[in-house]
Amino acid sequence: MAEVVFFLAAIGALAGAVGTVAVRNPFYSVLALVMHLLSLALLFLLLRSEFVAAAQVVVYAGAVMVLYMFVVAYVGGTSMPLGPGGTRSMRIGSIVFAGVLFVELAIAILGTGLKALGTEGAPYEPGFGTPARIGELLLTKFLLPFEIASFLLLIAAVGAVTLARRRGGLHDAEEQRITPLDLVRPVSTGTMAEAVGTRTNATTRERTGLEYGGHSGRAGPEDGDDGERTGLEAGVAPGGDTGPEDR
Amino acid sequence: MNALPSVLGVVDYYEPWWVQIIKSVVFFALGLQMVPVILLAERKLLGRFQGRPGPNRVGPFGALQPLADIGKLAFKADFRPRTSIGWLFALAPIISIVTAAAAFSLIPFGDTVDIGGTKVGLYGVDVSIGPLYLFAFGAVAFYGIMLGGWASGSKYSFLGAMRAAAQLISYEVSQGLALLGVIMTAGTLSLTEIVNAQEGMWFIVPQFVAFLIFLVAGFAETNRAPFDLVEADAELVGGYNTEYGGARFASFFFAEYLNILVVAGITTTVFLGGWLLPFGIDPPHWVDPIVVLSKMMAFVFFFVWIRATLPRLRYDQLMSFGWKILLPLATLNAFVTAIIVVLHDNGTI
Repeated sequence: MAEVVFFLAAIGALAGAVGTVAVRNPFYSVLALVMHLLSLALLFLLLRSEFVAAAQVVVYAGAVMVLYMFVVAYVGGTSMPLGPGGTRSMRIGSIVFAGVLFVELAIAILGTGLKALGTEGAPYEPGFGTPARIGELLLTKFLLPFEIASFLLLIAAVGAVTLARRRGGLHDAEEQRITPLDLVRPVSTGTMAEAVGTRTNATTRERTGLEYGGHSGRAGPEDGDDGERTGLEAGVAPGGDTGPEDR
Repeated sequence: MNALPSVLGVVDYYEPWWVQIIKSVVFFALGLQMVPVILLAERKLLGRFQGRPGPNRVGPFGALQPLADIGKLAFKADFRPRTSIGWLFALAPIISIVTAAAAFSLIPFGDTVDIGGTKVGLYGVDVSIGPLYLFAFGAVAFYGIMLGGWASGSKYSFLGAMRAAAQLISYEVSQGLALLGVIMTAGTLSLTEIVNAQEGMWFIVPQFVAFLIFLVAGFAETNRAPFDLVEADAELVGGYNTEYGGARFASFFFAEYLNILVVAGITTTVFLGGWLLPFGIDPPHWVDPIVVLSKMMAFVFFFVWIRATLPRLRYDQLMSFGWKILLPLATLNAFVTAIIVVLHDNGTI
């Protein structure tokens, strides 16, 4: 069972990784990367680190790739397939860098001598990979790297906001703020309670003798209130009543 | 043989493989059976709220209406627009429904009970990472909506999917932070342990702010009114599922209602004490699932009530509410809870 899952996940991870770089359509490229990340999460699960697996899915597949997909679907899509762009020197440079990375990884992997291949692997102890254990490690042994990483993310966030503002991306001219005042608006300024008739304007009802009372939800400020009740609407004459003819 | 289930579960006893299979079938059937019920309940209630009878023609009191709907959808021919991308178009509803069913298995309907000498947990799976499992499947569920909208090759579907993407990532953060307060209070991630920690006082009392945030974010996550901009029918025809019909549409629809059940179930578990009853009432174990289901149904009623009451938000209002009010509030709640928990553990309070 575990072997079957392992090979399925491993094939999925490899196919996803190859697909990410080989596919021309950027949208499919992102999808292949998602498949790669999900397969990796499955492999983590086989290693009994549930927390890392869930974090992998939530953070990478759930947040990072969603943004990728957002951008690709908006900007790129099928109409703009990726081509072997760039100048000749860039293409040669990319091959050189890929070769350097391959050699480095090969040295790092083969340098260990692959001694653990023939063994059963590291022993499993109960509690390994649980959120409690990982949290403990992050706050004791790896506190400094953890803090540095979070600081790096903070810098990136601040940098993104600064860049967006410099290019005039963030303008809040027509932005409407939602305040708690919207929920506790004065009577007969078109609140929802009035629209459904649960809250009635007592003054109006007394004066007009309307039984069901209340203003329609559409009532604007000038349609609204008696001047002496709120005194907010300067344009309304004192005592300016909204009789039934207003409706 | 059974490597995977034992990896997923933190249960300290061994459930035989046949119990696990029976449990999967039972839970899937339960979810499958509850969807038509809440579908009918919603339509009936909406009718009442709007001063009309609601469905009342098929069967007694219209009770067979969901069955008729499902039958109609299932026997329709599958079709797709010429601009769509076939395999993604077919894949998207499957992703949606699989993730919804997987998330449903997380809801605990009771503690471990002894059935005929075999210990069985009345839940699909009790993972040590609890809510993270929920969020992981929520993350994957996003791709169902996104691919559905994108692969349809239609503007309305695409806009609906885009809105879904933005809405989902905006409100998921607040939802997670709201749950963080509960997790810190309970001191565990396992959902059954969280329920057991609520013995004496449900978490809705000490974590009321978190409860409100979670509920609001739950509305947004399930695309319910007043946050149903994803499928705002006046603007987008039907959102990401505009081009879908027949059984595929039914799958999307099904997944959506299953997600409502999941949100109701998680809220019940985390804030309303799951299968616990107040005032020290301690019924036998077979009552537990009924208690959980009743609480879930109360939430479904609340969902319908809200849908019938509140108008849809504007899109910029949705975003500014999520990021500027809900997220700071959730962060503050987690922060204050952390301080109180530490002080409490040190014996200061």
